Amino acid sequence: MAAAIEVRELHKRYGDLHALRGVSFTVAPGEVFCMLGPNGAGKTTCTEILEGHRVPSSGVVRVLGLDPARGERALHERIGVVLQSCGIQHDLTVGELITMYGSYYPRRRSVGELIELVELDAKAGTRAEALSGGQRRRLDLALALVGDPDVLFLDEPTTGFDPHARRAAWSTIRSLCSLGKTVFLTTHFMDEAQHLADRIVVMRAGEIVAEGTPEDLGGRERLPTEIRFIAPEGFRPDDLPQLPPDAALERDGESVLIRCSEGLRAAHAICGWALERSLELRAFSVAQPTLEDVYLRLTEAAEAPAGLSLHEREGARGR
Amino acid sequence: MSSAGELSVSRGQSESEGAGAAAPILPTGGTRGSPARDLALLGRQVIYEQRAFWRNRRRALTSFAFPLMFLLIFGAIIHGRVASLHNIPYINFYVPGIIAYAVMVIGFTNIAMAIAYLRYDGILKRLRVTPMPPTLYLLAVVLSNVLTIVAATVLLLVVGVALYGAHLEAGELPGFVLTLMLASACFTSLGIAVARLIPRPDSGMPVLMFVTLPLSFISDVFFPLEKGAHVLREIGELFPLFHVSRGLQPAFEPFSRGGGLVGSDVLVLLTWSAVGLWLSRRTMQALSKQD
Repeated sequence: MAAAIEVRELHKRYGDLHALRGVSFTVAPGEVFCMLGPNGAGKTTCTEILEGHRVPSSGVVRVLGLDPARGERALHERIGVVLQSCGIQHDLTVGELITMYGSYYPRRRSVGELIELVELDAKAGTRAEALSGGQRRRLDLALALVGDPDVLFLDEPTTGFDPHARRAAWSTIRSLCSLGKTVFLTTHFMDEAQHLADRIVVMRAGEIVAEGTPEDLGGRERLPTEIRFIAPEGFRPDDLPQLPPDAALERDGESVLIRCSEGLRAAHAICGWALERSLELRAFSVAQPTLEDVYLRLTEAAEAPAGLSLHEREGARGR
Repeated sequence: MSSAGELSVSRGQSESEGAGAAAPILPTGGTRGSPARDLALLGRQVIYEQRAFWRNRRRALTSFAFPLMFLLIFGAIIHGRVASLHNIPYINFYVPGIIAYAVMVIGFTNIAMAIAYLRYDGILKRLRVTPMPPTLYLLAVVLSNVLTIVAATVLLLVVGVALYGAHLEAGELPGFVLTLMLASACFTSLGIAVARLIPRPDSGMPVLMFVTLPLSFISDVFFPLEKGAHVLREIGELFPLFHVSRGLQPAFEPFSRGGGLVGSDVLVLLTWSAVGLWLSRRTMQALSKQD
């Protein structure tokens, strides 16, 4: 099956600024593809090129087999876009706007059901200018969906949502995928990426620095396990029992963090040691580094961060 | 909350309007816009633009209510007076003058502001990712504005004739309508042309007023200036508003001042239209510009 989105060696320069430095990726039909990265990493530039708002300096971009830079109507009829910030005819009501934008498309969803889907039923007769920030974003989502798109671009779609609305939007997006829609998502929120994405790429300074599923991104599964607890009274690191050789201890005030590739063995040793001495290890936890930890390492470190193998980065770039 | 899985998708069938019902069932590949479909799209968009215009008090006030207010107040003040120039009722001079003013304010100022807002509010950015071609959308904005011009003209005519007894010469109406058409084309094209120069809408309005208001004082809108009376009148003759006023006058006072739309008026209006149209291309390029 042909790729829904295909990007090869994409470069974008603004004068001296090299905003995208050879980005390549492919999104399969029906996939939820998430682009993570800090501000200025090139996410929005990349998204805007895919949407046809910007023209690449070089490289190949195809969305549904078409070149978005040509602004073809046939492409616009099949994509839906939630832009990070864009305007609306604010003198028209929610219902009128959805109907109006719907009239631009050859295929369209039912207005009533869309309004229900984004939970704006109570606001159908309200003018856009009177909507709250979160309601406006939900209207944006409805307008992106009104043409029953095959590919949906969501640029930070839940920014400004309250937690409930966010969950609701997520389940909407998830159910879109069950209809075979391809979703291209950018976000700042790790939990959003974790919840929605089939595949994640992490951007930093115009390059893809890692690619993977939410589970294995940045070699997360292979990173050392983290054991945390709050130090009991009079605790000294020397008190600890013998731990596997690569165990490393960090202390931040009362809290203790031990990183160890043999998490089970280390945890077992610590538990036995504490029980023997009747020590209460408050807030004892054993966990893999979170997606957020991995993301921060990937995007903040100037050099290849420790704990992240180099081949991972190169592997991501080569794909 | 219902899931999208339950959403029905209607193909080629409009939810609320009949016009789309005739559209055939389309393959997922989409279509090129057919002329008939685009025409229906245009018609619907004009209706939405009209709706939005009349709902927006600020826009309706500055472009529609302003000339009406002038006519009501000035008309009441001068009611029954005789113009000093040609021994004709002043109102017969004043109604076409105010109509010319209204055509300028709606055709020029309102369209320039409308486009400035389209850019500034980011509506164009949204439109660019939909199948609605920006030029078709702009055409709808322009056509909607022409409807507003027609509505303003009719209202001013009715108020002038019914309330203040302005005399309307039916035989001169063709020239009146021709002048209106030329004036709409001229001011609209100039309005589109200057829209590009307005970076922020809130600074645009005063600047546009700074152009239109002084111009109306030297263009036979509020009071007549006799030929050779002042150098300002010669300056006024260079701009379109003066010629619009002149073209509208005979419908009210056909034998006054030997006025009326003459070849030179048409020439000036057409020249300005051409200039406006040529400069509008720059605006259109800016509107559909990708970086």
